[in-house]
Amino acid sequence: MSIPEYTAPATLDDALGIKKELGAEARVIAGGTDLILRMRDKVFSPSVLIDLRRLSLDGIVLSDNEMRLGAFASLSQILESAEIERLFPALPAGCREFAGPPIRNRATLGGNIVNASPAADLVPPLIAYDTSIVLTSSDGDRVLSLVEFFVGPGQSVIKPDEILTEIRLPVMPPWSAATFIKLGQRRSMAISQVNLTTRLSIDESGAVSDARIVLGAVAPVPMRAVAAEEFLLGKELSEELLNGAAQKARAEVTPISDVRASHSYRLEMTEVLVRRALLATWDELGRNATDG
Amino acid sequence: MAEMEIKFDVNGKQVRVSAEPNKTLLSVLRENLGLTGTKDGCSSGDCGACVVMLDDRPVNSCMVLAPQAEGSSVVTIEGLASNGELHPVQRAFGETWAFQCGFCTPGILVSCYALLESNDDPTREEILTAVAGNFCRCTGYQGVVKAVEQAAAEIRAANKSGGGS
Repeated sequence: MSIPEYTAPATLDDALGIKKELGAEARVIAGGTDLILRMRDKVFSPSVLIDLRRLSLDGIVLSDNEMRLGAFASLSQILESAEIERLFPALPAGCREFAGPPIRNRATLGGNIVNASPAADLVPPLIAYDTSIVLTSSDGDRVLSLVEFFVGPGQSVIKPDEILTEIRLPVMPPWSAATFIKLGQRRSMAISQVNLTTRLSIDESGAVSDARIVLGAVAPVPMRAVAAEEFLLGKELSEELLNGAAQKARAEVTPISDVRASHSYRLEMTEVLVRRALLATWDELGRNATDG
Repeated sequence: MAEMEIKFDVNGKQVRVSAEPNKTLLSVLRENLGLTGTKDGCSSGDCGACVVMLDDRPVNSCMVLAPQAEGSSVVTIEGLASNGELHPVQRAFGETWAFQCGFCTPGILVSCYALLESNDDPTREEILTAVAGNFCRCTGYQGVVKAVEQAAAEIRAANKSGGGS
């Protein structure tokens, strides 16, 4: 089979066939806002580019208990969805602070995941919502929890013949709220120094029934502060409790110093921002309760 | 890479170019089509000098490969004027002195045009968000806000009196 260097297959099966034959030599191009730069800088030198624009893998569909997003949905498409804003507001909150409008019109949710950047802005909200992803190959679909996808900076468990096709967010239990915060040097066009999402679910007595504290840019992969999450479980919300969780989160992160921020600044900001995000999430829960 | 044939619309006219698939839309516009109004600033999606409309949305043309534009419709700075008349936002930029050196202006104008296409009464915050992906390093953004507000008022007035779209 002869494969042109740039191909826009008519079917997913055709694309998967090329991936099966060429593996990592063939790269899928989605928005291209990262890939094009890396190709120019010779970080990646694929022999074939597979453009999936003809397959319309950008649908946003809500079923009974799950939101399914095509991996090729652009950030702008996510921002235009009233259902995502209503059910998963921390995700569009991340999109709004992502680069600027021209990039948001091209960059895709799947691209932000597959890049496996430790600072990916959309990954903390997705993990906080217990997102799973669908990796498709010619052998079929493989579904895994997003938090298990990342191995290290730029590295993930995706196999050379797989394509990320779908992102699935389960609808949250009632009395849930989430908050996204990004710290960067500017409000636009900045790579995060720290980004995070907190999500709290409470039961009818007001005790914490589920908690997610997910941080980016403070470890080799986007991470859950598991000890801090466990510290909250079963307890009544209070400022003291949330302060304690923020301190625990600080002890769990392992940031590096780089051109954007130092190790010690990231540590300090982890505690400050986790506390701030948890307080905002609590506010949101309070408002939800009084709104009925 | 071998060249491939790519067809798309630019400023309302269908064009057919032959280009290597790793060439950007920006290079094709400037080098193959001679549309040098769109500028090449950073070549990495940071500065916004290369912003054009692609299928009715502003994008960085340095971050689109030419074959990704196959079958699409592109509007560049050269396409904002119609029948020899500048678009209201172009005229307003001149009247309010919203630029000095002018290098970032084509990209900023396209971003502002995109905003005004969907919103003829933008707030200051919405205008600043619309140009968040465009760097201006000599004039700043106050003039841009003033120009877009002036153009928006003109578009609203024209729509009211002319019964236009």
